[in-house]
Amino acid sequence: MTKTHISEDTMKPAIRVENLSKTYGSGSSAVQALKNASMSVQPGEVVGLLGPSGSGKTTLLQCLGAIIDPSGGRITLGGDVLFENGWQYSDRRALRRDRIGFIFQRPYLIPFMDATENIAILPMLQGQTNKQAYSRAAELLDILDITERGSARIEELSGGEQQRVAIARALANRPPIILADEPTAPLDSHRAMSVMQLLHEMAEKLKTAIIVVTHDENIIPVFKRLYRIRDGVLHEETGEGRAFDALL
Amino acid sequence: MISLAYRDVSNSFGRYLLTGIGLGLLIGVTLTMAGVFRGMVDDGKALLRSADADIWVVQQNTLGPFAEPSSLPDNIYRGILAIEGIRQATNVAYLTLEVGRGSHSVRVMLEGIDTQQNPLHLIAGRPVMRSHYELVADERSGFKIGDRIPIHRHDYEVVGLTRGMRSPSGDPILFLPLKDAQEIQFLKDNDALFRDRVQLKENPQLNPPGNPALLDAVEQQLFSNHRVNTVLIQLLPGANPRRVADDIEKWLRLTAYPKDEMEDILIGQLIAMASKQIGLFLVILTIVSAAIVALTIYSMTQTKLKEIAVLKLIGTRNGLISRMILLEAIGLGLVGFLTGKLAVTYWAPLFPKHIVLLPDDTLRALLITMIICVLASIAGIRAALRIPPGSAIGG
Amino acid sequence: MNKLNHRKLYSVLLGLVVISVIVLIALKGPLAPLNVQVVTLKLGDLEPAMFGVGTVEARRSYTIGPTRTGKLQQLLVDHGDNVVAGQLLGQMDPVDLMDRLQSAQLNVEKYEHLVESAQARLDEAKSRYTQAKHEAERYRDLVKKKQVSHEAAEAKTTDAVAAADQVRVAEADLEGVRHDLQRMQSDLKAVKAQVDDLRLVSPASGVVTSREVEPGSLVVSGTPILRIVDMETLWVRTRIEQRNSTHITTGLPADIFLRNQADKALEGQVARIELIADSLTEERWVDVAFNKIPEGVAIGMLANVTIKLPAVRQAQWLPAAAIQNFQRETGVWSVRDNKAHFVPVETGTRTLDGKVQILSGIDSNDIVVSYTAKPLNEGQSLNIENP
Repeated sequence: MTKTHISEDTMKPAIRVENLSKTYGSGSSAVQALKNASMSVQPGEVVGLLGPSGSGKTTLLQCLGAIIDPSGGRITLGGDVLFENGWQYSDRRALRRDRIGFIFQRPYLIPFMDATENIAILPMLQGQTNKQAYSRAAELLDILDITERGSARIEELSGGEQQRVAIARALANRPPIILADEPTAPLDSHRAMSVMQLLHEMAEKLKTAIIVVTHDENIIPVFKRLYRIRDGVLHEETGEGRAFDALL
Repeated sequence: MISLAYRDVSNSFGRYLLTGIGLGLLIGVTLTMAGVFRGMVDDGKALLRSADADIWVVQQNTLGPFAEPSSLPDNIYRGILAIEGIRQATNVAYLTLEVGRGSHSVRVMLEGIDTQQNPLHLIAGRPVMRSHYELVADERSGFKIGDRIPIHRHDYEVVGLTRGMRSPSGDPILFLPLKDAQEIQFLKDNDALFRDRVQLKENPQLNPPGNPALLDAVEQQLFSNHRVNTVLIQLLPGANPRRVADDIEKWLRLTAYPKDEMEDILIGQLIAMASKQIGLFLVILTIVSAAIVALTIYSMTQTKLKEIAVLKLIGTRNGLISRMILLEAIGLGLVGFLTGKLAVTYWAPLFPKHIVLLPDDTLRALLITMIICVLASIAGIRAALRIPPGSAIGG
Repeated sequence: MNKLNHRKLYSVLLGLVVISVIVLIALKGPLAPLNVQVVTLKLGDLEPAMFGVGTVEARRSYTIGPTRTGKLQQLLVDHGDNVVAGQLLGQMDPVDLMDRLQSAQLNVEKYEHLVESAQARLDEAKSRYTQAKHEAERYRDLVKKKQVSHEAAEAKTTDAVAAADQVRVAEADLEGVRHDLQRMQSDLKAVKAQVDDLRLVSPASGVVTSREVEPGSLVVSGTPILRIVDMETLWVRTRIEQRNSTHITTGLPADIFLRNQADKALEGQVARIELIADSLTEERWVDVAFNKIPEGVAIGMLANVTIKLPAVRQAQWLPAAAIQNFQRETGVWSVRDNKAHFVPVETGTRTLDGKVQILSGIDSNDIVVSYTAKPLNEGQSLNIENP
């Protein structure tokens, strides 16, 4: 089913995208990566974003994450307009720091800091004391079950451990929005499932809105609601919404 | 806040340290060059200090005795003493030559002085007490007390040592009695003496038959040296150096330089060219050092492109990133500076030329290093700031 | 956290390294106090001496040469021969002198003959006069007896007078000829003296030290042919600086080191202090005689002479290196509270091994700087390092 308009909900959506377009280049070599895309995610929701490579999902994510500027349309995060037809929110960096958590395909951890520091830096950037930041980091390490690797250097961690640290970092500032790009790619199915479970727990507990870009067959069944994107055009779908215990 | 610079440096500590040490050696060379220059000035000043002269009298219209050769009769000091205002006038002769030390030869400057006036500052031994064949050597010459140095016809015994006594060109000085220096200065070798003697003997006007004493008198006059290079003057209290110098020039047809003019000649003119060369060298070294810091910081930034992008992505302020790069640059400079200063402190005494390390120069070097580091970090900072945060999500 | 402690440890270590480097630089740099060595006033006997360079010469030496220009005919001695006073050494060529001698000799003989003949003429004149006088007396008697005329008696008287005059003439002639003879005898003596002069005779005993002309050569009057030296009078004519030479007296002992035996000290003593000095070099000559004339010495050889002056007993002295000038005064640098303080002193005797007598200015409690690398300033911080 295609929905082209925003549904009226009683709760304000955490993320609302209306008629978003992004064109790269100009003139004859112009490429339209997004064509009038619209979506919305409620606080506490975990939606999937599926699509082949080159379909524009990275572009959409980057627009949502205030990393690049769209060419047209409107993005609203919580109550604030991020972008509207040429106007953009000025302190996008602060936005990224305070409101958006990023989880990427690769961990993108800072190699010259250890695991704890990679996580703690985020609260520090927000202005918290080192003590508070480190205790938050310890908390997250515990949640992700890698406490004993806290003081390890990044290159000493396995791929899976690194990804877990990256996830912990994304959660460090308790952001209302999390954008995850193939978060489970480097993980084995068991770990992948725990990560998805964790995300769902976060979403439920903290009312975090989470968009997960993926094509991991193992976790697609989990989503209750998902979007498909193809050639820049977005379609909404209903997911299977399977329970975790059933999948494990 | 975590110190990003500290962690980044700790992560690649070896390379950072080595670059810092390399930079330090360059800074050390720079400080050494400045030290050489100061050393030359100090040598000139030491020479002037040890001479303790209010006025230097030299041959008319010369810039002697160091910048140009100067020759005066050794009895002209009596005429000088007659001039009002003068307390003491002493003859001095200078001669640069190579003397043998074991299997090597050492280039030294002989200074013939009145060994009973103007005592030297010794670090060992005793001053010259005999009227001939003893000398005091500067320790830089390598001679020890008790060494016997053959110079032309005689052997000279080293009885005392000084430190820091050098000619304006940096050769260590050997102090010996004036008469010995005069003899060494102008005495010819035996073959030349023999030929001259024969020529005199065969000259009927200088060796007339019936007057054998004439030949002796002529020989004595010809084969002795009664010249000196300069006469050093000490004035009575209250005497005006410029006025006394003018009197000497007018009445005795000599050239007289008061102390400050002599300092000008010695340090100013003599070292002017050297200072230009050293200055150019310093500029080159500074540019090279700046280039090294800039390149190192820039390459350190380049290797961290991804990380910087990620930092920007997760919300790190530009200022924080710039500070990291700046601190790394300054840290490099500090490591270099400390290494360089330490190296110079230990290798300066081993240098053949006299090196003087002034605290002023050290502070200046520190300041310039810091400025270079700050400027050199600009390239890296610019590169870092230009990185789009989106490039973190390349893959 | 463990990591935190680790970090702290590293930071502290780094801090320590930096501080120690800075401290090291400060200690070795120009701000450090100056290192000096010190001594105190010493008491002892001082043995001053004066040093000079001299040449071996002979007190008595003679030059033998002709008084007039001529050719050297013969030399009987050579370099190294011993001669005695009065010994014939050689002979100049007399040339025509021998002929002139003979001529003078013959002249004398001739005048001796002339004297004889003058004497004979006188005798003859005297006997004629006697006869004439007798005749005159006889005629005067005859005149009285009126046997002869007055004219005849006067004539005989006139003859007697004439004969007397003849005697006087003959006497005068004889005197003249005698004087001539004396003159000729003097001429002969003169020529003989000249001939004697051509003999070269030694005025004294000694050794021939040079033979400068060979027989057959032309020698201008005054040119030396031989030089003779009285070897027993060899001494070293030493040049001593005029300054500080007032204490040299004759009889002082001395050590003589000849150049060809530089390590062997020969004993000597001061024999004479010359009254004329060299104003050009500001030196004077002191003649130091050998106690025993050494073998193998040559005139003109160089020697180093050390004249030992009378010792100064129980004098207070400092090493000469401690005596310095500051602001045109002579004194020493004393150390008070590790700071330099200049004290003018009065000095006395100086010895050749570097001791200087201190007459006044400091006492045995003072610590005096002996060695310093740099000139000192009043109040400068010092660091005493003594071996």
